[in-house]
Amino acid sequence: MIDIVPPAFIFIFGAFLLPFLRGRLLRQTVQLIVPLIAFVDLLYMHHGTYWVYNFLGYDLILGRVDKLSMVFGYVFVIVAFLGMVYALHIKEYGQHVAAFLYIGSTLGVTFAGDFFTLFVFWEIMAVSSVFLIWYRREKPALDAGFRYILVHIFGGCVLLAGIIIYITNTGDNYFNAIEYGGLGSKLILLGFIINAAVPPFHAWLSDAYPEGTVTGSVFMTAFTTKSAVYVLLRGFAGVEILVWLGAIMAIYGVVYAVLENDIRRLLAYHIISQVGYMVCGVGLGSEIAINGASAHAFSHILYKALLFMGAGAVIYVTGKRKMTELQGRNLYKKMPITLSLYMIGAFSISAVPLFNGFISKTMVVAATGELHRPIIHLLLHLASIGTFLHTGLKLPYGTWFGKAKGEIDINEEELEAKEPPMNMLVAMAMAALLCIVTGVYPKVLYDLLPYPVYFHPYTPQHVLSMIQLLLLTAAAFWLYIDKLGGEPTISVDTDWFYRKPGVLILWVCSHPLQDIRLRLQQAFTAGVTKIAALSKNPVLLPEIIVRNIQLKVYTILYHNSEPPEDKLKKINELKYKLNVLKEISYKENIYRRPIGAGVLLAIVFLFLYGLIYFIKMD
Amino acid sequence: MSRRLKYLFFICIGLSIVASFFITHEKVHFWWEKIPAFDALFGFIGCIVIVVGSKALGHKWLQKDEDYYD
Repeated sequence: MIDIVPPAFIFIFGAFLLPFLRGRLLRQTVQLIVPLIAFVDLLYMHHGTYWVYNFLGYDLILGRVDKLSMVFGYVFVIVAFLGMVYALHIKEYGQHVAAFLYIGSTLGVTFAGDFFTLFVFWEIMAVSSVFLIWYRREKPALDAGFRYILVHIFGGCVLLAGIIIYITNTGDNYFNAIEYGGLGSKLILLGFIINAAVPPFHAWLSDAYPEGTVTGSVFMTAFTTKSAVYVLLRGFAGVEILVWLGAIMAIYGVVYAVLENDIRRLLAYHIISQVGYMVCGVGLGSEIAINGASAHAFSHILYKALLFMGAGAVIYVTGKRKMTELQGRNLYKKMPITLSLYMIGAFSISAVPLFNGFISKTMVVAATGELHRPIIHLLLHLASIGTFLHTGLKLPYGTWFGKAKGEIDINEEELEAKEPPMNMLVAMAMAALLCIVTGVYPKVLYDLLPYPVYFHPYTPQHVLSMIQLLLLTAAAFWLYIDKLGGEPTISVDTDWFYRKPGVLILWVCSHPLQDIRLRLQQAFTAGVTKIAALSKNPVLLPEIIVRNIQLKVYTILYHNSEPPEDKLKKINELKYKLNVLKEISYKENIYRRPIGAGVLLAIVFLFLYGLIYFIKMD
Repeated sequence: MSRRLKYLFFICIGLSIVASFFITHEKVHFWWEKIPAFDALFGFIGCIVIVVGSKALGHKWLQKDEDYYD
């Protein structure tokens, strides 16, 4: 049998292979085969530690395989395949190279058993994913990409600092449960939660994901935040602060989603909200909470990819991304399949029974009950309402149905729209199928989870409570249906803190700082000119300096009175001498000393050296 | 929305609320879980709170023109 290789390397090898392939069909084949090979590879990986290399006295572990890393490994490879099917029509292979590197590095993070490996893959992840934004090639995308990479570089630096402090304190570099307390662990946690998009460090997500390419954003929704959830599960399970951060995060995303007009940005805010459930589960730290967080990450990756595919399909065929531009165009008549598949994703994220969100979200919520956390429980419940309200009702209503607002004349142009290319639909259909299969038959997912599952999602009470919640949310939506349409605005978020002052910093650099620089430069140039003039004859320099000082002394002494006759004569004499001295240029022959002087000096130094040497010998 | 769909919707809500009087929690963790149809109430009020609260926050503070950052 062929030996298994780290799944990360399969994708990274694929990334390097793609540019050398000629012919579209061949490339498409490789695009699909690489995730399949990786999936088979995962099937052959058994629990244990593999691919350990020694490096500078530390162990680099490329394959720590256990239930926790496997559940994330599986879903990452599955969504990689779905995303590649969705992106199959893209001829520009650079995008696929970036995607493969991104997927590969995420798998590297997932199976890393030590901090160094983790960090290296963490950085590759940030750098490769930014190209999925930049490939849209429009100015907003380029700008958002720069902000995205800067935030992630900052996060990476924080993580590295934390890792170094932590390793120095503990002495080994194995990445296991981290004792939360010291500076090192706090910095590591900060590095992780920046990638998990925990407020106030979340703005990169809602800023950058909607700016990516239609196909690239699908990948982005899956990997960065969920790999962060994985490392949090591994390192910080049971850290109390994460409970609160997670619950606040779940609500935070919902609030911003109310205000959002851009359809993919609305969905991006719901990533933040949904990751909140996972972060909360990490913080709760009990077995059911860990299981719930892992299961919810699994479900979330599938339905969020599906939702982004649906929204992306609309953007792909219409070129429009705002609800104010889309509503009232009756798109449901032109893209019914896309709408139906999107709705499956929407029902999944809203945790409608028989869809996969239901079997995972209820687990996290149940954990809050078991640990008796009433406030957290209610906050998560509230976030559920918001999720259905926006992803399940507002977005589809505003995109496929809705009434046009006054400013857009419906007759002005008929929006050209049809179903997206076949491969996009197939990818969406597969994602939808997976959402339903895991929702109807949760055992397939529950068997993968880190701890044995004793939780039953389909109790009459769970189902009924969810149905009531959703039905009455729909009723309230109906009441507010006119108020909830998109508004042509953007909402300021914590990215304000680096976007607005960023302009200010630029101004400070280009005006006052530039001014100081110019002044300094002028002063230096003047100084250098003076020194250059003086160095015309270095031999006379001491004399010139002495005369100058004398002259200065005189001028200071008689600065407010007329000097006496004799002194005045002396001053004039000095001035004349100085002028004469300055005029004399250096001629080598005038100042040459006899060769004997040099020899004498050499002998003196040799003597001194010998003296010191012999004294030291004694 | 057609009339029939509207009625169906109301019937569903009614049925779910009636059903909650017959189905009890296996394990009660919080006091409000004993109240029948609590989730329906919470869903309705919660949704209104989210919409009104967020919109107020948005209009008063967060929402800006689309060229705000340009």
